[in-house]
Amino acid sequence: MYGSLDISTSGMIAQRARLQVIAANIANRNAILDSAGNVDPYRRRIIGLAPGDPTATTAEGRAMGVHVAAIDLDSAPIQMASYEPDSPYAYKSGPNAGYVPGTNVNPVWEQVNAMEASRAYEANVAAAEAAKTMMGQALRLLA
Amino acid sequence: MSLGDFLNSGSIPMLETAVKFAAQRQKMIAHNIANIETPGFLQVDVSISGFRKLLSEAVDRRREAGGDSAPFELGESNEIRRTAAGELLLNPQTPSGGMLAHDRNNRDLERLMQAQVENAGSFRVATDLLRTRFDLLKTAISQRA
Repeated sequence: MYGSLDISTSGMIAQRARLQVIAANIANRNAILDSAGNVDPYRRRIIGLAPGDPTATTAEGRAMGVHVAAIDLDSAPIQMASYEPDSPYAYKSGPNAGYVPGTNVNPVWEQVNAMEASRAYEANVAAAEAAKTMMGQALRLLA
Repeated sequence: MSLGDFLNSGSIPMLETAVKFAAQRQKMIAHNIANIETPGFLQVDVSISGFRKLLSEAVDRRREAGGDSAPFELGESNEIRRTAAGELLLNPQTPSGGMLAHDRNNRDLERLMQAQVENAGSFRVATDLLRTRFDLLKTAISQRA
């Protein structure tokens, strides 16, 4: 019975991590410089979920549940933000010369993903609530 | 007759098995819900009718072996195993879920929630019946009507 709470918790953790990645993507939507100030547009992060939960406390919990396997960079091409040849951030040469780069973050995708993640989180909460109710019923056998 | 004989007679061991099965199945449903957005994950389930068959076979076996006070032994199938400690181990092989989505996950939230509600319901019925049995035992022990 306690194992099923482990499983639902792993689901909640995974969905919250997913929401964090989405928030980071939206926050960095216009970030075209790296931390040193050079032009290096932000690349959208993708979260990879996989079955099983290595952090669970029980052997069964490790086999079941879900965990974040990887956070990868989206290799989709970046969009050019605007044509501003005089901007210090514009490309000096190459096919995009004169253009100021944007990022490959699409706010519409991020919104849709955020909605999915929060619904999936809710589903895990519902499963945890059901497990809690069942545990309460089993414990009342003793009373 | 010891107290253990009382606890292993009548419907108590059967109800206990039903409670164990529902608890184990809850884990599987939670696993399916946790992986509702995992790419490439196929939803898992065990066959309810398979469990009912095992249960009714065990009841029949006990009846033939001498009725209420004979030991109750649940059989095993390829999906439902018993450990030495008497716990149930589920090895899900029954396909569940719906159409394969673009991320190769065959999630079906409605069916999943239905399974969850049904499972919680059968757990509730089994625990309520068990409690009635225990209350009866308590009344008998305290020699009150």
